Order: sequence, then C-alpha cells, then structure tokens
Amino acid sequence: MERIIIDGLSFSLPLFIMAIGGIYSEKSGITNLALEGLQGVGAFTGALAAVLAASALSGSSQVPYYAAMVFAVLGGMIYSLLHALLCIRFKANQTISGVVINILAMALTAFLTKFINRSVFGAASDKFVLGVSAKLTIPVLSQIPVLGAAFKDIYPFELIIIAAAVLAWYVMYKTRYGMNLRACGDNPHAVDAAGVDVARVRLVAVMVSGGLSGLAGISFAYSISANFSSSIYVGYGYLAIAALIFGNWTILPTLGSCLLFGFARSGGYYLVQKLQMPSSYSDLVMILPYVVTLLLLIFFSKYNRAPRALGEIYDKGKR
Amino acid sequence: MEKNRHVIKRGMVRLLGNPRYQAVTIPLFAIILSLLAGAVVILFQGKNPLIAYQNLLQGSGLLPKASYAGYKSILTDFTSFLNAWTPMLFASLSVAVALRAGLFNIGVSGQMLTAGFITTLTIGYSSLSAPLAKPLVLVMGILVGALVGGLIGWLKYQFNINEVVSSIMINYIAQYVISFFINTYYVNPVSRQSNAVSKAARLSLMDTPVGNLKMDIPLCVLLAVITAFIVKFLLDRTTFGYELKCVGTSRNAARYAGIHVGKNIVMAMFFSGALAGLAGVTYYLGYFGSIQPKVLPSTGFDAIAVSLLANSNPVGIIFSSFLITVLSKGSTYMNSASGLESEIASVITGVILLFAACGAYIQYKVKTFQDELREEERKAAAEPSTKEGGNG
Repeated sequence: MERIIIDGLSFSLPLFIMAIGGIYSEKSGITNLALEGLQGVGAFTGALAAVLAASALSGSSQVPYYAAMVFAVLGGMIYSLLHALLCIRFKANQTISGVVINILAMALTAFLTKFINRSVFGAASDKFVLGVSAKLTIPVLSQIPVLGAAFKDIYPFELIIIAAAVLAWYVMYKTRYGMNLRACGDNPHAVDAAGVDVARVRLVAVMVSGGLSGLAGISFAYSISANFSSSIYVGYGYLAIAALIFGNWTILPTLGSCLLFGFARSGGYYLVQKLQMPSSYSDLVMILPYVVTLLLLIFFSKYNRAPRALGEIYDKGKR
Repeated sequence: MEKNRHVIKRGMVRLLGNPRYQAVTIPLFAIILSLLAGAVVILFQGKNPLIAYQNLLQGSGLLPKASYAGYKSILTDFTSFLNAWTPMLFASLSVAVALRAGLFNIGVSGQMLTAGFITTLTIGYSSLSAPLAKPLVLVMGILVGALVGGLIGWLKYQFNINEVVSSIMINYIAQYVISFFINTYYVNPVSRQSNAVSKAARLSLMDTPVGNLKMDIPLCVLLAVITAFIVKFLLDRTTFGYELKCVGTSRNAARYAGIHVGKNIVMAMFFSGALAGLAGVTYYLGYFGSIQPKVLPSTGFDAIAVSLLANSNPVGIIFSSFLITVLSKGSTYMNSASGLESEIASVITGVILLFAACGAYIQYKVKTFQDELREEERKAAAEPSTKEGGNG
C-alpha cells in the first residue's frame, strides 16, 4: 500500500507539471502536441548539465542535481521557442508543428548524446548516467497511518514541482496576465481590442509550457530511468495531454487525472510483484495508464469544452 | 543592405515564384536547405559532407561502393533498398489519405505492428503453400490495419476523441500487448525476436541466387507504386475523394453541402489503416521476417515527413519516400565508411520536416515579395528620373 502511494506520486507529479504546461499553452490558443519533445530536450540539457557538473565537482555534491533542474527548465524553454516560432510567426499548422518538433527532438537528442559522449567524454555510449536521486522523509507527517506514505521517501523534485504548480495556479487564475492568457484562447480579437499583444501572451505561454515540460523530463530521468537516453520518449507527453483534456483544461481536476494515471501504474506493478507473476507480465501492466486514458476519454469527451480559439491561427483581419 | 535584400527577393521570386511549379520547387527548397544544414553539422565534426552524402547513396545501391563482399554488388544493394522502400511508400500513402480528410494519423506505426503481428500468427506460422499464403498475407494485413484505423475514426466520430491522442494510446497499447505475447509464447531464444515466419508467407525472396549474386527480391514493390497511382485516382477523380477533401478543408461547409462528415471520417481512417496494414505486412513479413518486441517501427513516423514533404500528393510521395529511405537506409553505411553517427540522417529528416511545415509560410512570403517587386517596378516606371532599384 505504502509503495503504491510513493511510486504513484513520483510518477504523477512530473506528469502533472507537464500537463500544467500544456494547459498554459492550450488556454492561450496554441495546440501543444510538442510536450513529448519538450520534456525530452529538457531532460537532455538537464542531464548534460548534471554530467558536466559532476565531472567538474567531485564527491557527493548536490550541485549537479539542482543544476540539472535549472538547465532542464532553460533547455525546454529555449526549444519551445521553435514551436512558438512555427505556430505564431510562421502560421504553420499547430498539430503538424507539434509532431514535427517531437520527431526532431528525438533525432537531435539521440545524435547529440552520442556525439558529446564521444567527443567530450571519449566513450561510445548513447546515454548520460545520472543515478537515482536521493530521497527524503518528512519526520512527523510520515508517521500518519496510510496517508503518511505521501510524506515518505519523496524525491526533492517533487517539492520543486509542488511549488511550481502552486505558483502556476496563482498566475493562471489570480493575475492580469493569467486572465489575458485565458482570454487569448477564447476570443483573441477581444484581447487585441483591449490593447494586449496576443502574439506576446502566446509566446510566453508556450515558453512556460516548455520550461515546465523540461522540469518534468529531468524528473522522469532522475526517477524512472536513472539516466538520459532515448528511452525517455515513451509517450509521457501525450499522456499529459490526455490528462489535461480529461481535466477539462483546468489545473485542479487535471491533478486528479494525473494521480489516477500514477496510481493505476504503481498499483499494477504492485500486483505483478505480489502475485509473483513472471516479469513479462509487467508489459501488460504498462498499458494500464493508456487504457485508462482511452476509457476515460470515451466517457468524458462529451462534456469537454476546449478553449474556443484552440488551434486557430490568430489573424488580425479576421472577425 | 537594402540592395542585398532586393537581390534575395529577386532570387526567391525567380526560383519559387511560379505557382504552377510551387508544389515541386518549395519542397526541393526545403530539402536543399536541410542538406546544407546537415553539411554544416558534418563539417563542424571535421568530415567532408560531400563524401558523407556520397556514402548515403552508396549504401542505398545508387552509387558503386569501393569494394563488395562475395555474392554482393550494387544491384543487391539496390534491391535491398527497394525492400526497405516498399513499406515506407505504403505507410506514407496511409498518412496522406488521412491528411486529405484533415486527420492526422500518427498511429501508422501501431497499425503496422498490429497488422504484422496478427498476420504473422494466422498465416506466417501456418503451413499454407506459397501461392495461397502470399495473397492471404496481403488480405489479412489490409483487414487488420483497416479495423484498427477504423476504430480510431469511429472514436473520433462517436465520442469526439482527438485522433492524435487516441492513436498514440493505441500505439502504446499495441506495442506492450504484442511484446507480452511475443515474449511469452513466440520468442526465439537466440535472436530475442519473434520466431521467423515461414518462407512461403514471406513477401520478399531473401538471399535468392541470381547469376553469381544473392539478392533480396521484394515482391510488392510494384504493387506499392501502382497503389500510389490508385490512391491518386481515388482522391482526385472519385466522389469519395472529393467528399474527403471537402471534409478536410472545412467540416462545416461539408456539412452544409449535405456530406455525412462522420461517415467520411471513419472511411478515411479505415482506408488509411488498410494502407498502414499493407505497410505492416511488407515490413514484418517482407523486409524483416520477425518482430522485435517493444519496438514501434520508425517507418510510421518517418512516413509523416514523407507525406508532408510531398504535400500529401500520392505521386509526389513516390519521390519523397525514395529520398527519405535513402537517408535512413544509407546511414548505416555512412556510419561504417566515414565514422559519422548514423543519427545524423534522422536529424536531417527532422530538419526537412521543419522546413516542410513552413511551406505555406514560404509560399506566402514569396507572394508578398512578388507584390513588392511589382510595386517597385510600377513606381520606377512612373518616375523614370529616379534611380532604378538594384541590378538583380
């Protein structure tokens, strides 16, 4: 039971922060299928920073870990500029742009990982080894029966993610920028008439989605795979999109759907171990989040209300 | 500075201005820009880009290599290239059909895998004789692919589920479930892949002695090329194709015109899935003879690049799929011959895609350049005393 909560949370929270990024972009009217690529590039730059910092500093310093976080956010943000450029300036089809950016991200990070490993570290390897991050337990709260597990063995990135999520919620619903952003997705012409630059609001929203996805990517790299390699691209970005659609493009319900995915996954693994099934059965467990997504979408897509101007290119002259 | 801008404008208009040829010139422009970008990266690594690109062609059997192993020649390289090209062509046609109806079939890989797996089980492992097995493999592939594709279309029509999300979910479900079945029941302990299919069911004749060579002969390559023309005919010359195009251009306008939008969405995905199924059987029962568990074929994703590059024109796809296959097939030889990472080829593919996605913008920009030039000429003609701008 404890393990289900601990593992579930460490999977749902990165998914959640990525979904928030998606909400920012989509609420501003830019369809963002590029989350998958953004988290991959974020994980790549973060892992590179960590490996470089670790080779410069010695011992069990915590610097590489936090450097990885910072550079993952920066990397995701910079790479997301490409999506912004294509969707806002070049008026490309947003769905196509998102998919193209994912394909390019996979190719680029795979190439650069090999290239940097060979030329900088002199090793023929297609991954950056990170190791699993240290965990911490909050003394008193973790003693609470059952629910205390949520405070036990938490990764430091989970705390960063919670802080970022609260901040993102505040900006989205309590500030002027957040209001403009939500208006951009529903009626960009009204926003323009009010004297706000639609392109700039959208640019910032896409960059936020890039930064948050980058954070999610490095979190996955530090927890699930313990390294950076092309195994980071297993569809978490698309899972986050499904989560935000299921959460109806609002932040709190999206947290609910992310938790559901996380617990479906950790619960399934627990079951395989408990029943002592052969390891190939874990493949069947892996499909749980995807099946849950499909089923939920079947039942709830009808009630969904996407932002009205989602996916539409903003054209000043159009009414 | 101003003069330079003028020259660039002139050049762009002269190169890309003619709207009759833009369908060809703009993709070519995208390809050349990407190859140049790739050349810069290769130069940066201290290698000669011309030799690298030559290696790509050599690896695909389009240029002779310096030396060949026994029973091999440029001809065997080329037939093996055709063997890889066949599934790519089918997969790209699949993407194109869906795009025509405004649907983005990113699930081609999952449809290929499912069709390949079920056909392998039912026919690949049977003891049917070759004349019976080979056509059945094709039929089965079409059927399974069409059902999976149709399911995605139906989910979109019935429940309004975004086809990109649902097809990706189905991709992963197919990948894991099939990997489970292969690892549990059909695994070959040596190769860690599924057991090889029977020779009778194989759509490519592997290592067949012809003269003093041993070559792989893809049986379906002609079928793939013919299919491209059939798809072209269906899309451009039939009511079905016209309705698809209407739905793809504007769903509301199509509805007002009395076209059943839902039916067309399902039909488009059904048809697209059938083509993906053909890609799947030519890939898993042709190019390869077995299935590697836990891996989605990258062909399904490269096919998106191919289709975008050709602006989803089936005849254009014949050429663009050829090019992308040269990049992916030749990269292995480039890796061994010049020591460059083979991933550079997929980076170039990605960059081609990026420029192809901007095709509409390039077209728009060329149009504005054209208008500006015309305006300048008009002004120059009206005031003959002022200097003429630029010497282009």
